[in-house]
Amino acid sequence: MSERRTRLLLVLVLAGQLVFLTQQAPEAASGGTPLERAGVRALAPVARAVDAGFESAAGVRGRLRRRADLERENLALREEVERLRIEALRRHELEEEARRLAGALDYARRGVERLHLVDVVYIDHASWLRTLVVYGGRTVLRVDQPLVASSGLIGRVVLVSGPYAKVQLVTDRAAAVGAMLERSRRQGVVRGDGQGGLEMDFVPLQAEVAVGEKVVTAGIDGVYPRGLAVGTVVAVEPGSELFHRIRLAPAVDFGRLGEAYALERAPVPAPLREASADAPR
Amino acid sequence: MRLVRFLLALAAASLAHIVGSHLVPGFVMAVDFFLVVVVFHALDGNTLTGLVAGLVVGLVQDSLTGSLYGLHGFADTIVGYLTALLAQRVVFQRASGVMLAFVAAALVQQLVLIGLVLVFFADPELPPLGWIAARAASAALLGIMVWLAGAQWRTRYDGWRRSRAARLHFR
Repeated sequence: MSERRTRLLLVLVLAGQLVFLTQQAPEAASGGTPLERAGVRALAPVARAVDAGFESAAGVRGRLRRRADLERENLALREEVERLRIEALRRHELEEEARRLAGALDYARRGVERLHLVDVVYIDHASWLRTLVVYGGRTVLRVDQPLVASSGLIGRVVLVSGPYAKVQLVTDRAAAVGAMLERSRRQGVVRGDGQGGLEMDFVPLQAEVAVGEKVVTAGIDGVYPRGLAVGTVVAVEPGSELFHRIRLAPAVDFGRLGEAYALERAPVPAPLREASADAPR
Repeated sequence: MRLVRFLLALAAASLAHIVGSHLVPGFVMAVDFFLVVVVFHALDGNTLTGLVAGLVVGLVQDSLTGSLYGLHGFADTIVGYLTALLAQRVVFQRASGVMLAFVAAALVQQLVLIGLVLVFFADPELPPLGWIAARAASAALLGIMVWLAGAQWRTRYDGWRRSRAARLHFR
């Protein structure tokens, strides 16, 4: 092919890619393009195999550990199990009490969520184009499904390709989570700060915010249910004339993420759905 | 043969990328194996192969990064084309020249990526300058290693062919 034709091809390819990018831009989390799904489908199994290889190597190392270490660990785990049992009993009592009170008040409880364990096969949490790829196995993952770890919110699914899914981390600059301060219940929007941390915007200056305060999801964005741990306040600075500039440390340590849970929200009960459909707009 | 070599290099780069990200946090920020494949392939071919290699490798890399799909596809297409164009005009005889080509390619790639996110996002996140420098340095280092290994392999292969030809006797 002549140089002139190659140059023309370059212009066409670049123009085509710009159109392709422009079409994705308005809704970056629209479920991805077929090409991207094919790419994830091809590379994610490799990542899964690598992950499995590292896990089995860690398993071999673990088996080679000294017996004394294992005994000490066993003792510590037994103590923890005992402590957790007592805590579970106490929580069970509290749950029963809450249920009784809710019944007495005829309070409509929010839908109960189910958790599906998914395997983290690839994570890049440090770079500026951060991403996470998970393997759901038989679990059918869907776009916008929230992902959590035992310590808090990870992010949401933005692309599904077979049993694999790409997740937008909560620390992503383009991610936005409706959140609230746990103590004062003041609501705001949490976004990635571009350095692996989080920022909470739109909390008015009148609100009292303390360092160390927990921030949880507010359940107002239609994606994340209420009450998931998002982070902890590490600094409060004067922001604009109206709002605080709140810096948060993420609740989840992304460097140690081995598995995650996909949250399956219970569907809205049919009568409520019908009532909302009939409601005057 | 050339296509097979390219596909093998792409598979090796993907594997190295995944293993590296498993072992070292921030590895992906500092080291870009995909860029090495693009530049190496472009240095060894014409502008068309450079362009196509950049496009394919970039799109594969996009599968393992967040944000919009196609950012690396776009950037690497330009990098592949420009590198091949440069290779057509300049003969690289010294290792320092090859290193410079890799550094330039890494910088061009990052500049194009920054330009794209500035165009497509209202409040974009940009790569820190230190990481860009680290990426350019690692690209140069990796590039020169691959280039030297390739040159050595070629010398040995030519030697083997010559000795084989000398041993053949036609009657």
